[in-house]
Amino acid sequence: MGAVTYPNEKVAKFVSLNFVPVKIETSNTAMMQRFSVSWTPTLLVLDAEGREHYRGVGFFAPEDLIPTLMTAKGRWALDTDQFAEARALLEEVISLHPDMETAAEALFFLGVAKYKMSHDPKNLREAYDELTAKFPTSSWTKQADHYRLISK
Amino acid sequence: MALEICWLDDLAKGQETARKINKPIFLDFFNPK
Repeated sequence: MGAVTYPNEKVAKFVSLNFVPVKIETSNTAMMQRFSVSWTPTLLVLDAEGREHYRGVGFFAPEDLIPTLMTAKGRWALDTDQFAEARALLEEVISLHPDMETAAEALFFLGVAKYKMSHDPKNLREAYDELTAKFPTSSWTKQADHYRLISK
Repeated sequence: MALEICWLDDLAKGQETARKINKPIFLDFFNPK
């Protein structure tokens, strides 16, 4: 990551604009234990209280890291009740990276964000229908399966 | 000059900054070897 992905200018700009970046060496065993990290690279997205909202393990190429972190930021916004920001971020992932696996995750959580804003369960059913159509084999589609019971 | 990520090496400082500017923390565990 340090040799290829982080020096990439688009990644550097995206991370700098959207996150507070913190690097911890694996020799810091207290931090490794605190976050149950056993392998590197491990990438976490946390809120200001140190609560985890996303975890990625393994290498991410520059073109994969940006949409992945955009989805992760959307999940942070959703979990911290910033629903309009979550919706905007997740819609951006789906619009800019429609063929990536992270777009399925974004679609799943976009349904949740819309539901949280409207309290209308049809938003969840719409997310299920779109996931089924666009990502029939994704684990996120399977995880949305129970929404098919919601009437259209 | 190319833009570089300005990493903090202290999570507590990161949390303080995140609280002030309402942004999430991107925490990378790395092996320097």
